[in-house]
Amino acid sequence: MNRLLLVTLFGCTSLISIAQKHTLSGYIKDASSGEALIGATLFIKEANAGAVANAYGFYSITVPSASYTVIYSFVGFEKIEKQITLESDQRIDIELRVEATQLSEVVVSAKEDPLGKVQSTEMSTQELDIRTIRKIPAFLGEVDVIKALQTLPGISTVGEGASGYNSRGGSVGQNLILLDEAPVYNSSHMLGFFSVFNPDAVIDTKLYKGAIPAQFGGRLSSILDVRMKEGNSKKFETTGGIGTIFSRLAFEGPILKNKGSFIVAARRSYIDVLARPFVKVLKDGGALNFYDLTAKANYNFSERDRIYLSGYFGRDNFLFSKDQGFSWGNETATVRWNHLFNRKLFSNITGVYSEYSYKLQFGDDDRNKFKWNSAITNYILKPSMTYFINSNNELSFGGEAIYYYFIPANTMGVTNGEARNLSLAKKYNLETSLYASNIQHLGSKVSLEYGLRFSQFRAYGPDTIYNYNDTIPGIRRVPKSFSVYKSGQMISQFNNLQPRFSAKFQINEVSSLKGSYNRMVQYLHLISNTTASNPLDVWTPTSNNILPEIGDQYALGYFRTIGKNHGWEASVESYFRTTQNQVDYIPGADLLINKFLEGDLLSGKGRAYGLEFYLHKKTGRLNGWVSYTLAKTELQVNGINNRDWYPTRYDQRHNLKVTAFYEINKRWSASANFAFMSGTPATFPTSRYYENGILIPYDAYNSRNNVRVPAYHRLDVSLRLEGKREKKGKVRKNHDYWVFSIYNVYARQNPFSIYFAQDDKRVPPGQPIQSYAKQVSIIGSMVPSFSYNFTF
Amino acid sequence: MIMQPKTVGLILSILLFSSCEKTIDPNLQSASPVLVVEAWLNNKPEKQIIQLTKTQPYFDASTPAGVSGATVLVIDDLNNAFTFNDDGTNSGTYQWTPLTGQSFGAVGRKYALTVQVNGETFQSFSEMKRTTPVDSITFMVKPDFQFPDDSYIAEFWATDQIGSGDTYWIKAYKNGVPLNKPSEIVVAFDAGFSGGGDFDGVTFIPPIRNAINPIDADPKNSNVNLPPYVNGDSVYVEIHSITLEAFDHLQQVIIQTQRSGGFGALFARPIENVSTNIFNSNPKGSAVAGFFNISAVKGKGKKFVK
Repeated sequence: MNRLLLVTLFGCTSLISIAQKHTLSGYIKDASSGEALIGATLFIKEANAGAVANAYGFYSITVPSASYTVIYSFVGFEKIEKQITLESDQRIDIELRVEATQLSEVVVSAKEDPLGKVQSTEMSTQELDIRTIRKIPAFLGEVDVIKALQTLPGISTVGEGASGYNSRGGSVGQNLILLDEAPVYNSSHMLGFFSVFNPDAVIDTKLYKGAIPAQFGGRLSSILDVRMKEGNSKKFETTGGIGTIFSRLAFEGPILKNKGSFIVAARRSYIDVLARPFVKVLKDGGALNFYDLTAKANYNFSERDRIYLSGYFGRDNFLFSKDQGFSWGNETATVRWNHLFNRKLFSNITGVYSEYSYKLQFGDDDRNKFKWNSAITNYILKPSMTYFINSNNELSFGGEAIYYYFIPANTMGVTNGEARNLSLAKKYNLETSLYASNIQHLGSKVSLEYGLRFSQFRAYGPDTIYNYNDTIPGIRRVPKSFSVYKSGQMISQFNNLQPRFSAKFQINEVSSLKGSYNRMVQYLHLISNTTASNPLDVWTPTSNNILPEIGDQYALGYFRTIGKNHGWEASVESYFRTTQNQVDYIPGADLLINKFLEGDLLSGKGRAYGLEFYLHKKTGRLNGWVSYTLAKTELQVNGINNRDWYPTRYDQRHNLKVTAFYEINKRWSASANFAFMSGTPATFPTSRYYENGILIPYDAYNSRNNVRVPAYHRLDVSLRLEGKREKKGKVRKNHDYWVFSIYNVYARQNPFSIYFAQDDKRVPPGQPIQSYAKQVSIIGSMVPSFSYNFTF
Repeated sequence: MIMQPKTVGLILSILLFSSCEKTIDPNLQSASPVLVVEAWLNNKPEKQIIQLTKTQPYFDASTPAGVSGATVLVIDDLNNAFTFNDDGTNSGTYQWTPLTGQSFGAVGRKYALTVQVNGETFQSFSEMKRTTPVDSITFMVKPDFQFPDDSYIAEFWATDQIGSGDTYWIKAYKNGVPLNKPSEIVVAFDAGFSGGGDFDGVTFIPPIRNAINPIDADPKNSNVNLPPYVNGDSVYVEIHSITLEAFDHLQQVIIQTQRSGGFGALFARPIENVSTNIFNSNPKGSAVAGFFNISAVKGKGKKFVK
């Protein structure tokens, strides 16, 4: 299969030239820290060809022998122009310096970006580097990768406190969030208020909403690729901060100068420590805290080999007495080995361990207690190769094998001294994929990226597989037969081919038109039927009763730069996505510790379409972006809403975000963030009736999400004050700054949801009961905060 | 659910910010009234009532309109017929009154309900399942963050019948007043919360045993709850057997009626109609809501004396 693919792809590549050609390759790095500059570019003027540094800072380009002017550049860094006579293959490692003219991080350079949004074949992607993320005003001042993404077109959320994000009408469980290639199954701390990524340890994030390259798979909607910092390879540095919620501390430095580096970064919340004397629950041994530890090291064994080790460990604790409560968290570990076979063939092999788990414990004595834990664990092996064939072709190919081990529920209950084991059967799955894709330039106008991903998903025993009866859709299905599989026995297998294609047509130097199609297949399903996903939600694999989710997305976009220095970037993209086998739930579905969970699931179709506008001013004292999305997302499920299409809970017609940064003077800078979103859908009852003295809401039309809550809008601002750079005429060694921010400046009580309930008062039997509707705002006031940050 | 959303909010609000909510008055779609059949019968030696009413607009807090003029009949699988007669108050109340020493139904019998009204026939089927006795009730001081320190917490002790699949509804009365807030509905599958577990034949699990304590806010300080029982109070606990359909139905009632605001809204489930086991014999006929269940009941009471 793989070989056939390769042959075909090679056949597609343009003719192999007979002219003498040589390869220029190397690494592009930050001169001050030695960090790889992911996405830095080089441009060969005379050949009118360029290349982009990959996720490890490596670039390679093959052009005919000649003398060239090569320009290396990266946003925010001084460009380097080099005269190179390419008579043989050359390796040139380049270090770029942060722009000296830059007064502070707020000013972005106006460098010509030969491989920017207009020129590259990429579309439907968004990149945010950590320096930009830091500037966006954040809730309680805590810099947040996921919340920053929500300022971009096509990205939304059901509301404050909700975990994750929704990309182009996909659910939270349809995003693959990778931290140094390790999947992160729950990206939030404290329900959904903060994300697990420590800004001190992250360097870059890239979000693929569409036109997803063949190297990625496994989720329908998006891939969020979060890359960790490598650590300063030039000098030791300590970074930290004291914020309202977290305190942070990171330490980084060289292992051997210029041979390797490391970073260790930690955060912990401490509000519960401060509040302990005043709050009864906390005094009694309760706790509410979260912490995480992120670490990475890399070492250059030779010119051709580099090893990276990275890991994350985070935990949220939520205890309401000493031994009762719950905790959850992710742990990941990644090992990567970069090897350069030659100047044109870059390879990387990644090994990943990732686990998300939670634990609950209730009960005050040994005769009466309940313990419950659940986990999803995976081991991943992912070899990948990039073959920089010539300046017109870049071929990527590789594979991925993921072994999943699910503990849906390990439970032990003791009641009045009698113990019962209520555990569910563990599940074992293997997902294997092969992919190949090529980026090909056809002349100066047209570029293509085409690829194919083949994936296979298998379930293995030991397990008991149930077959369910057919019933009226929306009613619980009960098992009618079962079969038992032995350890290692294959239970089911699914194969899918996923074509990926995108094309760019260069209209002129400043504008281009792009189109793409991709098919994505998802074998894991996040089982969640609450408004926001919660930490107890379980991932469940595809089986004989749950088919893989399949999504097809078409996108079309127009990209251009505006201004003499191309200081503005603008784009309009439209997308259309259809999905199959989306999971939904019967009324009253029992999703936790349920052996017959599959009998409570429904399956349906989805469709999502939208138009995204994005205008980004990259230069000047005032810079930032405006994004606007017009979108619609619907589902059709037999058993819900009379089988008519209905909007998803996160469907938002209009979504406008304005993010602006302004540099007041050398020490002060300001930023603001405004959001406007149409109200999300809700279901309202029409009627009510009594049963056993309880007031029951009733919808005569049996509809779902038939009304909208009022619109959401909010303004956040923040001010940053740089610490003095000099003290008594001497340059200070350490660098520090304060951030003052206000979230929800005009204290709007934005609706999160509307609920209907009977009066909570005790009503004598037979007396009529009052019913009411209440609108909930998760954050109903202005939230000021400040933080102090330092580096020395 | 194991943890009340209120608790989550309480702990979260430690974090400098809190949610807020306001009562609103949204326009709701109008809808024609639908027949509601409320047929929860039991074997207690007392009058049995089947209530026929109509749904009313959601914010209409008047007494719902009764449906008179119906024929209401329950027949068991031995062809014994129980006629429920309109009590003549125009409230849609149909009753069957036992003779002295008689009670309604028997464990293991199956029952069919037929309601004929306005030219339509509605039917339902159910069965009286076995129940289990309450062995004892205790009052003990226990740490419980929902109640003030040193509160006495009531606990009933009972054991599930051996054999998987018994479903119960626990009802409690404090000083004769039923605990009938949505948050006080407690159902059990064997001795545990749901069918997914295997708590067959053991003592009911602690959260069920403790679910007979009323949670009432202190009128003087709404942030604090009153102690559930003080000296002199009495509690009465009944265990009603219910069918599996009724168990599923009540679980849906719990989801749809235990709505809490605040941070709990994050984890709210969609509003959906709860299930019904009553159907129109003409599938194209008018809609119907409500439920038919016949419980065997066992109970015990205790007065709290320190």
